[in-house]
Amino acid sequence: MKKLVTFVAVLSLAGFGCSDSSGDGGSAGTGGAGGEGGAGSQDVEITVAAMVGEAEFVCGDTYDNLGADDSTLTISDFRFFVQSVELKNDAGDYVPVTLTENDWQAEGAALLDFEDGCNDLGTEPTNATVIGTIPAGTYDGIRFEMGVPFEANHDNPSTAPSPLNLTSMHWNWQGGYKFLRIDSGNFSMTDWRMHLGSTGCDGDPVSGGTTACSAPNRVAVEFPSFDAGTDVIKADLAALVDGAALDVNQPETPVGCMAGPTDSDCAPLFNNLGLPFGGDDPSSPQTFFSVD
Amino acid sequence: MQTIPILLVLLLVGAGCGSSDAAPAPEDWVWNLPDTVPLPRIPEDNPMSIAKVELGRFLFYDTQLSGNQTQSCGSCHQQALAFTDALAQAEGSTGQIHPRSSMSIANVAYAASLTWANEVLVRLEKQALVPMFGEDPVELGMAGMEDELLRRMRDDPRYPAMFADAFPEELDPVTRDNITKAIAAFQRSVVSFSSKVDRWQAGDRTALNESEQRGMALFFGGANAAGVEDAFECFHCHGGFLFSQSSDDAGQVFDQKFFMNNGLYNLDQDGSYPAGNEGLYDMTGLPEDKGRFKPPSLRNIALTAPYMHDGSIETLEEVLDHYSRGGRLIESGPNAGDGMLNPNKSSLLNGFVMTEQERADLIAFLHALTDEELLTNPAYSDPFAQD
Repeated sequence: MKKLVTFVAVLSLAGFGCSDSSGDGGSAGTGGAGGEGGAGSQDVEITVAAMVGEAEFVCGDTYDNLGADDSTLTISDFRFFVQSVELKNDAGDYVPVTLTENDWQAEGAALLDFEDGCNDLGTEPTNATVIGTIPAGTYDGIRFEMGVPFEANHDNPSTAPSPLNLTSMHWNWQGGYKFLRIDSGNFSMTDWRMHLGSTGCDGDPVSGGTTACSAPNRVAVEFPSFDAGTDVIKADLAALVDGAALDVNQPETPVGCMAGPTDSDCAPLFNNLGLPFGGDDPSSPQTFFSVD
Repeated sequence: MQTIPILLVLLLVGAGCGSSDAAPAPEDWVWNLPDTVPLPRIPEDNPMSIAKVELGRFLFYDTQLSGNQTQSCGSCHQQALAFTDALAQAEGSTGQIHPRSSMSIANVAYAASLTWANEVLVRLEKQALVPMFGEDPVELGMAGMEDELLRRMRDDPRYPAMFADAFPEELDPVTRDNITKAIAAFQRSVVSFSSKVDRWQAGDRTALNESEQRGMALFFGGANAAGVEDAFECFHCHGGFLFSQSSDDAGQVFDQKFFMNNGLYNLDQDGSYPAGNEGLYDMTGLPEDKGRFKPPSLRNIALTAPYMHDGSIETLEEVLDHYSRGGRLIESGPNAGDGMLNPNKSSLLNGFVMTEQERADLIAFLHALTDEELLTNPAYSDPFAQD
């Protein structure tokens, strides 16, 4: 049985023609067409929740006791992309989930969207699930990345399918997407925000393409014990800003953190995401996501 | 000659799309360039056409491209000022001040990289998305309004037909992608090679007066009054047909984008520039990238004051004094420091002795890089202007 499952997994990967190499910022992805299911495969539905501490996130609500200074913020946007979703089978091997192409999922990326249009830049529909298919079997763990696969991240956002065509998730001056977007207030430059994406990207004027990013900033997440049928992945703003002084801002930098490698306000946030910052390795894996 | 392969490709694409009843875009674009200038690189998926450039001109000057309909691309890139705005730092449609100074779009088809310090922006089609949809800073302020933008275009009495002419092979041509393609095509059409220096280089020995000729010799490495060869080192960064070494063209096979620190600031032992405006460092976080910016083209430089990425030098004379000293000394205030000692400063900027006459000659030469035709060419002008 184990052999059969492995065989089907290989076949399905080959069928979708997906690159699975991790290069200079290109990440393992399971993009491409999918979702037709069929014999030997099963549906996967992963539920994700946006939290602020113990409270479920509600667009436009005000939350207290955030960060090192117990700051109060009215949160108006909470969106992020995930990619490279894999479940752990009973042999302990991680197997890629093929994301189903729909309005929320394309090119191997899924947008989790918890804002409901309470701010100027938002959209009314929300999405709290990742949907896909995987070879039939039993799975008891999960890993994924918060991010957009390298190729899709640096393709033309104007012609990309939904949700990669949302301009509020573009990050054009960095040449990619905002992997994570959490805003407070309503689009004022004095309101705290966290935008994360790849930085230090290099383009080639001859080919017109993007060659590499020095800081890919994809957040690796792994929960060796996870049951997609009963467990929920929680993304917690309070955990993201733990230890970060949100009421103070490095002068002459954006309020909050726009992932700039020079913005010291990003240091505690990056640490909580398990990302290196300013040459310092993170003290631990990410703590933004948890399983409940 | 050079248009034939492009035409063939277009025909093939048209046939392959199953829309053979629609005519391909006419390959009617003719570059009007002097022999000394190479053809610009045109992306395969965005060939030039008269209809597309004309659509791009309208879009470039249309305030419907800003969220609150107060600004267009042309608000910060004004033809009379060689497509700059005379501001030290640009002001966006919501009043937010940009950390950087508006750059000229003249000859932007030849830019190896776009904006002052960005390695990843190498195509105008992608760059156009930054002012339109960027949020930090807000420029045109269209983020999240992509559907509204297309609605404005479709409801406009002019645009549906113009998009159809510009993209005749497409059934539904009013798209965000085609907006950026048309604007990019218009920007590529804005070429500027009709300065007095160009006329001199084309063989007209009356084009430059004696002072301008002396300035040109000094600019290109001639000995100064002190007898030092190439004392001024100008052309190492500002050489070539673009008067910027950071150039690209259709025949270029190498990545020529580059970035230099010219000693404007030195806030600390790391060579820091004012925070949030430190050039390539803002993108890479590498200390050696602090203060590294693209050397801009010096064509039409007399019209694009104030100077530098942050508009912090008001006149060309002061720019020369800055280079003569080999960096700027700021004695007090938050930006105090001696840029001459910036550890990242280009080794070419060692300072030089400059007589008053040499200074005047260099200034005269820089003024001779002004292309008066650029400023009045109707093909580049604002179609909405009322006069």
